[in-house]
Amino acid sequence: MNKESYQKKKLRYHDEGNVHMDFHGATNTTIEFIIKNYGIEIMNDIFSKVGKDVYQDLHLHIKNGDIEVLAEHWKHYFNREGADFDIEIKNDEIILTVHRCTAYEHVKKINGFVSPNFCDQTIKTNEAMAKGTSFEIETEILGEASCRQIIRRRL
Amino acid sequence: MIPSDHFTKFYNEVFKFLETQGEEDLKSYWLAISKNQEKHTLELFKKKGLQGMYEYWDHIREEENCDLDLKLEDDKLELKMNVCPSLSKVLDNDAEPMKRYCDHCAGWIGPIIDKVGYHMVYDVIDRTKPQCVMRIFKNKEEAKKAEKEAKLLMGWPGKETDTN
Repeated sequence: MNKESYQKKKLRYHDEGNVHMDFHGATNTTIEFIIKNYGIEIMNDIFSKVGKDVYQDLHLHIKNGDIEVLAEHWKHYFNREGADFDIEIKNDEIILTVHRCTAYEHVKKINGFVSPNFCDQTIKTNEAMAKGTSFEIETEILGEASCRQIIRRRL
Repeated sequence: MIPSDHFTKFYNEVFKFLETQGEEDLKSYWLAISKNQEKHTLELFKKKGLQGMYEYWDHIREEENCDLDLKLEDDKLELKMNVCPSLSKVLDNDAEPMKRYCDHCAGWIGPIIDKVGYHMVYDVIDRTKPQCVMRIFKNKEEAKKAEKEAKLLMGWPGKETDTN
């Protein structure tokens, strides 16, 4: 088994086929709806559930110190969405730099408006995935449609 | 980023929260999604009617990797979903599926079909299986007849409940 197929097998979710970018528009609508009607804490709780429950497998890998699987997840899905990004893998630290987030850009294109909380989906799911592990995932917004996500050992 | 591939898993978490708030909260959300979807559908449906609906779901078939059959007739469009990717992804999930996940589909489509003056009959058949049949009629009486044959008929916000 070559390295690539082994890494693919490690991903719990490994979607293939076409990509329906308009779902990001529905995510944007959802964020606005939930915050307007229930408040930002509820929105963040839902994102935390996505990080903890939907991405339970990534959480367990991180807990076991296997953070490279997160890099594989990032690579697979940012490639599928045609984003401009790079990933630097160091010992106990992985840095994802998204130069051009196609999710953000697509919402801007179809809606003309992107929720100021749109990137919370990244920040909060990342935090929840790493919660209770010896790693943390820090998400830094660099500008419109651009961010840096770093997983590293907690100090 | 929650990948677009995982939107349905996120959607599922949103439904689970809203279900704890009550039925009206779920309906209010479906209406917000319906409003969002109008920009992809409303003008097309108004302008081209059933042909426009065919074009929209033909595009969705491709983009969302659906195994579905579309049949367009003069007075009816039938969409037979053989394997729904949306519910399939929610079932292939480390998080628990919301038991009424399927209800959202009629929940957002129904209000749009009402707006353009057509009549939808949405048969989910079985909420645990990723398959359903949606029929959209020009004629209200034909829709009423079809409703009687549905195994698990879906409603939506604003749907007429009068069965006369």
